[in-house]
Amino acid sequence: MLAQLVDMSLWESVVRALIPVLLAAIGGLICERAGVFQISLEGMMLAGAFAAVAAAHVTGSALAAAAAAAVAGVLLSLVLAFGAVSRGGNAIVLGVAINILAVGLTSFLLPQLFGVRGSFQPEGGVRILRIAIPGLSDLPFIGPVLFNLSILGYAALLLVPATWLFLFRTQLGLRLRGVGERPLAAETLGVSSTVYRYAAVVASGVLAGLAGAQLALGNVGVFTEGISSGRGWIAVVAVMLGRAHPFGVLAACLLFGFTEAFGFRLQGQGYPVQITDALPFVVTLVALVIARKRFRRLLDLTASTV
Amino acid sequence: MTVALVVAFGLGAVVIALTGGDPLAAFGEMLTGGFTGSGLRNTLSRMIPIVGMALAFSLAFRSGVLNLGGEGQMLMGALFGTMTAIVLPGPGPVVIVAALLVGAAVGALWALLPALGQTKFQVPLLITSLLLNYVARATTSYLVRYPFGEPGAAFASTVAVPESNRIPDFPFLGGGISISLFFVFGLVALLAVVYRRSVFGYETAMLGFSGPFARYGGVDVERKTLLVMASAGAIGGLVGSHLVLGETYRYIDADMIAQTGFAWTGLMVSLLAANRPVAILLAGFFFAGLQIGGFAMERATKVSWQLAEMIQALVIVAVVSRLGLTWRRRRKLGEEVGPPQPEMETAHVGEV
Repeated sequence: MLAQLVDMSLWESVVRALIPVLLAAIGGLICERAGVFQISLEGMMLAGAFAAVAAAHVTGSALAAAAAAAVAGVLLSLVLAFGAVSRGGNAIVLGVAINILAVGLTSFLLPQLFGVRGSFQPEGGVRILRIAIPGLSDLPFIGPVLFNLSILGYAALLLVPATWLFLFRTQLGLRLRGVGERPLAAETLGVSSTVYRYAAVVASGVLAGLAGAQLALGNVGVFTEGISSGRGWIAVVAVMLGRAHPFGVLAACLLFGFTEAFGFRLQGQGYPVQITDALPFVVTLVALVIARKRFRRLLDLTASTV
Repeated sequence: MTVALVVAFGLGAVVIALTGGDPLAAFGEMLTGGFTGSGLRNTLSRMIPIVGMALAFSLAFRSGVLNLGGEGQMLMGALFGTMTAIVLPGPGPVVIVAALLVGAAVGALWALLPALGQTKFQVPLLITSLLLNYVARATTSYLVRYPFGEPGAAFASTVAVPESNRIPDFPFLGGGISISLFFVFGLVALLAVVYRRSVFGYETAMLGFSGPFARYGGVDVERKTLLVMASAGAIGGLVGSHLVLGETYRYIDADMIAQTGFAWTGLMVSLLAANRPVAILLAGFFFAGLQIGGFAMERATKVSWQLAEMIQALVIVAVVSRLGLTWRRRRKLGEEVGPPQPEMETAHVGEV
């Protein structure tokens, strides 16, 4: 039976499930490295998905949709940056509030702008451009899995080594990590922690917004209320499990992508849809327990919440 | 808080105007619809789950435990409470009490999962409690669709709770308000006393102030964490059970998933009230009224009711970003204020 469940087309859906989570998680890891605990990925993803669909409906352009998604993510991220970095508010509580705000905002604007509830399909059938790379996409196995993706899909995968290079091989990256690990020392050397933290949070806004665009316009081309359905939280967990290291985070996202794809496969075999829904979260929880004792910093953070 | 309210309603007005509505008319309908006449009665009804979930959140949060799993605790408690009321034979009042106890117990057990994860395995409760919401949704959906569901029903739901086993309404107030409201007031009073006057209240507040400090002071941090989470989950389970036994009389899957919004409204109410029970009652009344007023506003002005949700979230964002705090201090000191000091941070969410 396992052979039926695990085959090549499974890996295609693994990559498809992986991409939005990976985009958001890279944003989360950059924030983590800058010393900002970013848990509003879910809300920014949701807002990005809505903005993408709204822009696609109005302009009919995928580029405009992606830009709108990024802007929506950035606007919400600025709320976090202002509240947590400038005003010294609690990033965790703010993150929770931003997630609730995104739900309120999208569920308000959906009927207000388009006169519908629940879900909205933009006119024109706009999708994020999918490119089959000539030659490479014909390779057996890895061709369809890795070289027939949307532009955002390639971007997400390329961002993994790019983020690694940036963090560990550039001066800016070093400073960003310095701000996260020893903010006082960084300040002493003339590195403004405020600037780096703002930049990190805004970058996460762009990436989580784009993740939303991929979610809404990658395959189906529709916005449904709560479309992010926990993927932003999975991204938060991926940052934790991957210890904010780009390749570690990629591995954690792969685990999630595999679980989601596998869940869909089970559903295809006649298992109830609820198993598909719960599986990624159950696996994530189990992974957290297995990887325990890595989360000291976060525990300290939550302990000082009140 | 005044500043936060002004900012939130101001931004709300801008959004209404941008989407082609009349902000003043909309807000007028919202306030009259939520706080006068029959709207007031609906507001009081809606206070039950909102204040209940706020109290649940406050219990854990004032101990420094950030429980984001209210949704799941509510759903699990509601489903098992409902099933008890459906299958248990016996006189009505006994069955109701048993159902509520089962609902509370299941909510508490569900809340203990992330609590044990933190105390035994050092996995942050903040994240696990949230992830478990999705597991609870899937679990309750499955149970309502298959083993517990009404066979042949058009949508996933249990059969109706027998009439004798439903939580009654107040005989006065024109009907429509469950006597659960009375118990919510009781819980507010109880927690107000417990927080301020009991050893438990003191120790858990100390835990919220600083874990190491509490440990040094002889508090069993792990046990207290488990205890406040179990209590929070129990209240969540009670709220969920009330929503079925006192309002809808059958557990309808889609309906209950929509009701999980109460967990988040409750969280915001508790944040706004800085975890103080009496303030939670007032803030809960206010937020419940905004939501009920939102429905009236939508009927009258075509501005959709979710505006209320948006404004509530904006209030919280503004409060947590300490907009008001800065302005007040600035006025007092008459000078530019730098980034707030750490002690202000603890003062803010804890005991302002």
